[in-house]
Amino acid sequence: MAKPKIATAWLAGCAGCHMSFLDIDEAIIEVAKLVEITASPITDFKEFPAVDVGIVEGAVNTTDNVEVVHKLRHACKILMAWGDCACFGGIPTMRNMFDKNELLRRAFVETESTAKGRIPSSDELPRLLDQCKPVHNVVKVDCFVPGCPPSAKAIHYALVELLNGRIPVLPAEMMKFD
Amino acid sequence: MKQITLTVDGKEVKGREGDTVLDVCQANGFDVPTLCHFKGLTSVGACRMCVVDIEGERRINPACTYPARDGLVVQTKTETLERYRRLMLELMFTERNHLCMFCEQSGDCELQKMAYRYQMDNVRYPYTFPSQPLDPSTDAIAVDHNRCILCGRCVRACAQIEANHTLDFSKRGWKTMVAADLGQLLGESSCTLCGACMQVCPTGAVFSKLSIYKGRTAECQKTDTVCPICGVGCELRVFSKDNNVILIQAPEPAQPRGALCKEGRFGLLRNGHLRVASPLIRDRHGRQSESTLDEALEAAAEKLKAAGRGSTAGVVSSRLPGETLSLFDNFVRDVLGSDCIDTCDGRSFRVIAQGIKQFHGKRKGLDIECGAEEILQADCILLVGADPLKTHPVIGALIRRALDERKAKLVVVNVERDVFPLWSTLWLKPRAGSEGAVLSGLSKSIIDNGLVKTKKTPAELIQSQRRYWTEEPVHSTGVDPEKIDAAARMYAEAENAVIIYGEGLLERNDSNLVTLLLNLADLTGNQAGSHLRVLSLKPHCNSRGAWDLGIADKEIPRGKVNGLYLLLGEEQGSERLQSWLRGMDFLIVQASYQSPVTSMADIVLPSPTWAEREPGEFISMDGRIYESRPVVSPADGVLQDREILVRLSKKLGHRLTPR
Ligand code: SF4
Ligand code: SF4
Ligand code: SF4
Ligand code: SF4
Ligand code: FES
Repeated sequence: MAKPKIATAWLAGCAGCHMSFLDIDEAIIEVAKLVEITASPITDFKEFPAVDVGIVEGAVNTTDNVEVVHKLRHACKILMAWGDCACFGGIPTMRNMFDKNELLRRAFVETESTAKGRIPSSDELPRLLDQCKPVHNVVKVDCFVPGCPPSAKAIHYALVELLNGRIPVLPAEMMKFD
Repeated sequence: MKQITLTVDGKEVKGREGDTVLDVCQANGFDVPTLCHFKGLTSVGACRMCVVDIEGERRINPACTYPARDGLVVQTKTETLERYRRLMLELMFTERNHLCMFCEQSGDCELQKMAYRYQMDNVRYPYTFPSQPLDPSTDAIAVDHNRCILCGRCVRACAQIEANHTLDFSKRGWKTMVAADLGQLLGESSCTLCGACMQVCPTGAVFSKLSIYKGRTAECQKTDTVCPICGVGCELRVFSKDNNVILIQAPEPAQPRGALCKEGRFGLLRNGHLRVASPLIRDRHGRQSESTLDEALEAAAEKLKAAGRGSTAGVVSSRLPGETLSLFDNFVRDVLGSDCIDTCDGRSFRVIAQGIKQFHGKRKGLDIECGAEEILQADCILLVGADPLKTHPVIGALIRRALDERKAKLVVVNVERDVFPLWSTLWLKPRAGSEGAVLSGLSKSIIDNGLVKTKKTPAELIQSQRRYWTEEPVHSTGVDPEKIDAAARMYAEAENAVIIYGEGLLERNDSNLVTLLLNLADLTGNQAGSHLRVLSLKPHCNSRGAWDLGIADKEIPRGKVNGLYLLLGEEQGSERLQSWLRGMDFLIVQASYQSPVTSMADIVLPSPTWAEREPGEFISMDGRIYESRPVVSPADGVLQDREILVRLSKKLGHRLTPR
């Protein structure tokens, strides 16, 4: 049997989940033996090939995030949300407590270190959504690995479950929201 | 209470009439999840985590509010119940902003633990992202409404433990908020900072600013000990990590003596005083300079030898454990050869003891007084020359509970102010020095109005009591005689009336005042077993222990001694003490903190703090015995008080041993 293919995407998140993935230490060799990692922030693929498992870090915050997460959803059979931002919304959703325009002004104009700032507006640039959302509010998600970031152990557990043909649900003792 | 039999998850189990279904389940080891329930507080059924299936009921019901009955058939773990529980949890997470990654409570949070238990790896409902305020306005407690699940534990703790009613809910439905008073910031509200709300809050909504991000309780060492401050003797559970005290809680917050006060819960974490870090010796030029311990002990020994046996007095803090006090007693009597020994609060003792001696009761000594629990049974409280909210806050909380739960009446006798302004029924305000006339007036009014509840005839009573009555007529005390009659009636007609008195009265240095109070209780049959329902607020955590040892029996005669050995521990030393010290030829002080007293000393020796002190015995103001335990190891260069006394004795050619 060919090795199952994996692609990962990085949306509105801090990259901590990907770091945590690299943190599984020598287990990463084992994982590499079992799966083939294709498009990912840690490789240099430009488009998602068809894969068995798609993994998302981060919440959906911009029009670009929407596009990427839809592409990945189409490219994969099983979509896994990785980390609190993807599963619950997490830190990026704190912006939902403020008005969007106020927020843009604060970030691009009123920052103490900014002189003559302006809010970028170009068709080339992705736009901020009205609200930042967890991934399953945008596309169907098949399994969730929470944690900020998820522990290497939880990531490893989830992958091995998937490789064994099961949809992983973290056991209570592996659950961690921080 | 009648036993009842229920069937829970197919098993026959026993309960008692009056139990809730949750009580029965918990007593029989069924693990029913709960969030809003807190042992010892009333149950309100707010969170719906404890839902159970009860045969015959059309819908599921919260176990925590459902009265258990004989024959009930209960299911606690069906698939439907578990589904609803997970649903409730998800809704709680959508209602506010739960961002565990930077929540102070993460790792200690009951909501989070519950989400783990239900493997809540996503939330199916839309979040509301409400913009909730953070209230950091007090110097000890902060409230982050983003984390609140409206379980109401804090509201009930404030009402039922501290009986302060600062907290309540405001608004309705999903706009409901926990609010202090009428929506004030906590720091501007009636909050006493007792911290009960903080301890019972299951989430990170109410937290201690002094403990945040210092560690999770699971990573801490837990030590149960006794509060080293006032005479109430509250038990503390102290959490420490890396030799630092980081959190103090009550072991059983909802038990009758489970409250703590601001000082016990927070003050001990934030002692602003500088430590005595090294021994100090005053040189020929009058400057204090650091020395080794041996040099300081040598210097102290020289001073004591030069003064000669019997000419040095010993004064000790009653905040120290019995073992230390008793060793100090031996040190003064055997090593210094002096019978001049006292505690810093000895004068209060002598007034109380003499007052009890004058009283013609059967029991003698401090044991004549009742326990603090009697306050909770009281339907009338006579508070004389005491300000418990300031000096013994947990007694203040018990008083408020009696006013709340028993609708007790409160009569305040105070020359300065009404110490319970929103709560008192009557305030008698004698002119300073007229307390005796007011108290005599109360006795006379009780006798004259036939309110006496003993077998003695009024003539006998007058005979035995008149010698303590003052000649001063009631109308010159500044108190309206009608008010005295009203107070006398309230006190005498109550079933369980408790008298509480304190420093304000003892300051008069008049033991007759104490006798008058005991007589009042006697006249009206206010006895609990063999105790009179009278309680004196003793200043320190081991005043009672020190006084029981006889250390404060005799006042040190002025002028008889020319030097003083002062084992001050954590006390600062009152003004009165300081002015007395000024007349001394030499002063040796053993203290934990720098203070005006240590700066007056010729020799200063370091003393451990409450958290560092070796285990010892403490006796609360109402005679309860407690064991204290060390929480952290002593700071560098600090030895136990015992060790210092033993070494100094050795230099004086004595072997100091505990008696
Ligand atoms: S209160 Fe509990 S669940 Fe909410 S953010 Fe804090 S740790 Fe997480
Ligand atoms: S502040 Fe805490 S205890 Fe009070 S209602 Fe909210 S979650 Fe419950
Ligand atoms: S600290 Fe005490 S008085 Fe203040 S709100 Fe909390 S429970 Fe009430
Ligand atoms: S009431 Fe007294 S013993 Fe109790 S916590 Fe406060 S200071 Fe300590
Ligand atoms: S514990 Fe019963 S409803 Fe909350």
